[in-house]
Amino acid sequence: MRKSCLLALGLLALSCLAQAKQLAVVTEKSNATSNLSAADLGKLFLAKTRTWPDGKPVVIVVRDLTSPEMQVVLRKVFNMTPAEARSFVNAHHEAVVVADSDESVIKYVSGTRGAIGIVDLFSLTKDVNVVKVDGKLPVEQGYFLKGD
Amino acid sequence: MAVVHLLRKTNGMVGILLLFGAAAFAQIDPQTAVMPLTTKSPKVLQLVDQAWKLNLDEVETEKAVEVLQKAVAIDPDFAFGHQLLASISLDPREQVSEQQLAYKLRDHASPSERLAIEWWQDSSDHQLISAITKMNDLLSQYPRDRWVVFLSTWWLQANTQYARSIAVYEKSGLDSPGLINNTAYCYAYMRQFDKAFAWMDKYVAALPNDPNPQDSYAEILRMAGHFSSAVDHYRKALAINPKFYSSEFGIADTYSLMGDQAKAREEYKVAFQEFPSLPELHLVQWKTREAITYVRESDIPGADKAFQAIADYAHSNNMHQVEADIYRQMAMYQMDPKRTTAYLDQADAAVDEATNAMPLFLQQEQAQILRARVELAIRTGNKDMARTNLAKLADLSDKANDQVIETAYHGAAGAQLFTQKKYDQAISHLEEDPSNALSLKLLAAAYQKIGYSAGMKRTDDTLANLNDPSLEQALVVPAFRKCYEDPTCAGRTAAALR
Repeated sequence: MRKSCLLALGLLALSCLAQAKQLAVVTEKSNATSNLSAADLGKLFLAKTRTWPDGKPVVIVVRDLTSPEMQVVLRKVFNMTPAEARSFVNAHHEAVVVADSDESVIKYVSGTRGAIGIVDLFSLTKDVNVVKVDGKLPVEQGYFLKGD
Repeated sequence: MAVVHLLRKTNGMVGILLLFGAAAFAQIDPQTAVMPLTTKSPKVLQLVDQAWKLNLDEVETEKAVEVLQKAVAIDPDFAFGHQLLASISLDPREQVSEQQLAYKLRDHASPSERLAIEWWQDSSDHQLISAITKMNDLLSQYPRDRWVVFLSTWWLQANTQYARSIAVYEKSGLDSPGLINNTAYCYAYMRQFDKAFAWMDKYVAALPNDPNPQDSYAEILRMAGHFSSAVDHYRKALAINPKFYSSEFGIADTYSLMGDQAKAREEYKVAFQEFPSLPELHLVQWKTREAITYVRESDIPGADKAFQAIADYAHSNNMHQVEADIYRQMAMYQMDPKRTTAYLDQADAAVDEATNAMPLFLQQEQAQILRARVELAIRTGNKDMARTNLAKLADLSDKANDQVIETAYHGAAGAQLFTQKKYDQAISHLEEDPSNALSLKLLAAAYQKIGYSAGMKRTDDTLANLNDPSLEQALVVPAFRKCYEDPTCAGRTAAALR
């Protein structure tokens, strides 16, 4: 027997199959941008927007775009196949950093001026800012970066 | 002012340090650090150790709760003790009152204990991002502290973050049978049964003379659909300890899922006779499952009688949230829409009466009731009623930032869009409710409508293999499975049911 979610968190349980993945857009603490449109997010991650409004260069930090964890990002932000994503990263290696875990993304973003990354919601720490997308935070209904 | 902190050490020894102000917290090595617990009494620390063993390693939660109750009676200012009690209590009223006490007393606690208390409070207050950052902050300081690891893995599991929960445990390097057990369940919930069984083997090896490993093994086998093996393992657990009541009830649950309701009820009867003094939530849980056996037989009067008895019990014990949920479930299996409406009204009335439950839990219940109202409106073709209740549910979901409420919204919105033949939009909502049999059935049908056969096949397989003793499973899966497994059933796929 193992206590179920039902007993610990009240009567109503989420049943125990995994829910859709939620991702968070994060920037370093001094970055004043608190909201981005989905379109602007795409421009930043596709290296079409190269600087922030204050002139800092944009540094993109992502996990391996071909990994299962990044499928939502690949589909919704990059709109690319895994092969296209690989070529994109190779072609933009001066602006794109590939990290091996969410923790590494956060560590890099928190220590790099102008850095922006995408991580699993549940890996968030106090060392980064969470940026809204289209006015919504990851936990809000209709948030952009959510899916299987 | 000098503060006495008692530090638990990894070798099990208890030391006493006099700490002056915050300077004492300056040097922490995360690889070895154990979170300091702030209490005036060494006896309290011994009790906390005892509670750990009882709760995690021996799965004697009721006894662990009693021990923690003693601890906070000795030191009423022991804020983290109140938090632990809130986290493991089986009584919803105690969960609420102890969480409130922990938060109220947090200034008596160390910074790390405060962080833990505020994290759980944020969670209770729907502040999920803040809760996550606090949990990760605490984990970065104490990745190997057993209570921090337990609370984190437990909370992550409750939020269905199984992979992350496994990662937290594996990183901790802790060799705790209880945490091994939880890890096995995480793999099972991800339907990675080979890994779940491998962890279960470790758990059995760690505690060969304890009934719980056999009981857990049985439950995971049941989830995987290996019913006969599950019953064998439950019987092994009872052979080790005949008083291990969850195994007795587990056998009954398994027969119910196997489709033998008479045998299941016989087993429930034996179990309730042998164990007349169950904790309230366990009593309600298994009484509900007993009532569901009638639903599985389509015996509505039998189900009504059994469910009504639970609702009456809950009402007389001021468990109004439980009462509301029972009426909601009664509404769900009614054939007559008027009776469905009447039970949903009773569910709402019970929510209105509930003053002793956490507001979040009541909102979750309201969301489930609204979802049932949307489903009723769809069934009766009442578009206005569907729209009105869905709008209320959307509003609740917007304000709450809670996964249970949001999932209820997605299930209801998906059902409504499916009825409107807006299959692409329906899919995007139904995918957010992947564990509810009602939503899974619609999702598979929606995939079929748009010609996504791989998605339909995957969802059909998930649904056919869903062995969860819930009402939703009882309402959907057995009928679905009959056609799914029958070669003569128009193409052998679930599509035949649509």
